[in-house]
Amino acid sequence: MRISVPYVGHLWVALRALAARSGLELVEPPRPSQHTVSLGVRHSPEWMCFPFKVVLGSFIEAIERGADTIVMAEGPQLCRLGYYARLHEQILHDLGYTHVRVLTFNWQEEQILGFARFLRSILGKERPWKEIVGHLKHGLEQLVLMEDVEKRVHYLRPRARDWREVNLIWQVAGPRISAALTGQELREVRRQLLAELEAVDLDPRADPLKVGFLGEFILVIDPFFNLDLEDELGRRGVEIVRSSWIAGWAKIWLFMEMLGLSHGQEIKKAARPYLKRDVSGEGLQTIGETVLHAQEGFHGIIHIQPFTCLPEIMAQNILPQVLRDHDIPVLEIIIDEQTAKTGIITRLEAFVDLMQRRRIREALAARRNS
Amino acid sequence: MIRVGIPQALLYYQYYPMWQAFFQALGAEVVVSPPTARPTVEAGLARMVAETCLPVKVYGGHVCHLRELGVDCVFVPAIRATEPGLFNCSKFLGLPDLIRATVEDSSPLLEIDIDVGQGRGALQRAIYRLGWPFTWNPLHIRKAALAAWEAHLGFQALMRERKLTPPEAIEGSGGEGHALDSRCLPDTGSLVIAVVGHPYCLYDSYINHNLLGRLRRMGVRVITPEMAPAQGLEMGIRRLARFKYWVYEAEVTGAAGYYLEDPAVDGVIAVVVFGCGPDSTMLDVVQRAARRQEKPYMGLVLDEHTGEAGLVTRLEAFVDMIDRRKSARGSWEAGSMEKRRECA
Repeated sequence: MRISVPYVGHLWVALRALAARSGLELVEPPRPSQHTVSLGVRHSPEWMCFPFKVVLGSFIEAIERGADTIVMAEGPQLCRLGYYARLHEQILHDLGYTHVRVLTFNWQEEQILGFARFLRSILGKERPWKEIVGHLKHGLEQLVLMEDVEKRVHYLRPRARDWREVNLIWQVAGPRISAALTGQELREVRRQLLAELEAVDLDPRADPLKVGFLGEFILVIDPFFNLDLEDELGRRGVEIVRSSWIAGWAKIWLFMEMLGLSHGQEIKKAARPYLKRDVSGEGLQTIGETVLHAQEGFHGIIHIQPFTCLPEIMAQNILPQVLRDHDIPVLEIIIDEQTAKTGIITRLEAFVDLMQRRRIREALAARRNS
Repeated sequence: MIRVGIPQALLYYQYYPMWQAFFQALGAEVVVSPPTARPTVEAGLARMVAETCLPVKVYGGHVCHLRELGVDCVFVPAIRATEPGLFNCSKFLGLPDLIRATVEDSSPLLEIDIDVGQGRGALQRAIYRLGWPFTWNPLHIRKAALAAWEAHLGFQALMRERKLTPPEAIEGSGGEGHALDSRCLPDTGSLVIAVVGHPYCLYDSYINHNLLGRLRRMGVRVITPEMAPAQGLEMGIRRLARFKYWVYEAEVTGAAGYYLEDPAVDGVIAVVVFGCGPDSTMLDVVQRAARRQEKPYMGLVLDEHTGEAGLVTRLEAFVDMIDRRKSARGSWEAGSMEKRRECA
């Protein structure tokens, strides 16, 4: 059984280590590229969302590298994502990859115990539970470290004298964390990475704008899907505060829900005047976080979504209502396979200018009043 | 008497007799917005972002229109699941929130959350909360709910047994439905074409440019998802997609699965609107099945820019193609083509 998993976010940082630790045969698809997109678009239904198409392209590339089993999340309450696996399977079979099996895992019903069971069924029933739990823990720790580093990178990029210095550390962070196969090594890598980031030369005059980065999960967490907007904004002196994190998401779904603790209470409460019901995906989160960010004095919001996304269209329809009560600029970015990065960059620059002018205007007004 | 407005859009075609019976039993007057027309669509278009699907924009337009009719409140349900474990499109999940945000000047909304997955108690509580503004007596509400359910079952049986479309059945039961063109009677057609899709795509003749009427005038016997037995639809879903995912999957995947297998059906037309999330997944499954079955199939994707002329040409070509195919197989009635031409 040669297994592949979609290339989304930093998932493969943990998976590479899992393969090395457990001897599981994992086939890593190449990083998504224009070729991946073309492959996916050619074989996908026309108005499926962009993530579906890229993931399909990624699967085809993985199968060509020898994968025969694919693992996908599934289940209701996940918008169309819950239907992906079934459609992917049909499309792959029609393409002639009839030997490919699609294994699905239902996040919501099974949670952490189900996931451990799922992992054990893949690794082999003879493995002791202790080992399975160890793999799970190590994988989660790697994801958490990766995202801790990323948060730090978001903070430092607009404040460093030279953003390239931060990017140099960030580029090698993934491979270094992947290579840490024991808890001991991982702690050592964590110490080193954070120390290196701490040593970055800061610009004392830097006064970055603070922007919330909200929207559809995959587009927010993966630089390939969002055209690396986080980097582009960081270079232009904007600090990004992201709403979605894989490790955060895994923690919520796998642990918190099981314990009956729900993380999103604050978000739900903030969104309530505008959106009372969970509309699946990140719709509720987008509305709630916009309100919270506005209250926290953020300078702007970037709302990103794939074309035809169900929950985010709801959010987009409701946002004007939110903006009537909360004065915060929002930039809508809709991504599909036709999106050109140049056009988006121009819009980003205009948005950054707008936020800067607003800040100056507000500062002047404040001085006049005092 | 409280005047309750019901927009003639989206789920109206599935549930109107039920809703009507419920509110009338509680002593309310039910006001239905008139059929979709150009101003309705324009009102909706102006209020929602472009990416929203056409039926939802149309729904917004109907809510606007109801305010002009002076209703006291508008009934806007949020349907999460009609069976445990199913999933509905985000627009249905948050329909009242969407309407509140986009049609700010609408009459107050009467909201209800239907989620069968939450259990019987939650459903009953939701119904009682809906009936609360009309009466303080829970027994009264219970009676109204039972009458509503009765009306719903009667409505479905009527459509199945007499092969009626929802607007015809609603009209038959004294509602505000509008009849399709009946110059050619439904049963006279020699070609049988199954039209599958969500009721708000099939029966809103503004959205689909009177598709069903046109087909009938061409001498086609049109059959729709409501005319199929419930088990048949379930089986259709299992055949095409293995298990059910979407709440309104029966009328697309289920009906297509059922009619693609039915030897009495000469062709299948799937009517969907652009940007529909659930349909973007289901249509692909249907298309693949049609290819395997070698049954004539056409997917019509509509939006507010769909031109009537282009649609008519495609329809004519599709019907002619099926006709030729049938005649090649030797079951062609002489002269049927000319008759169809005159009608169209």
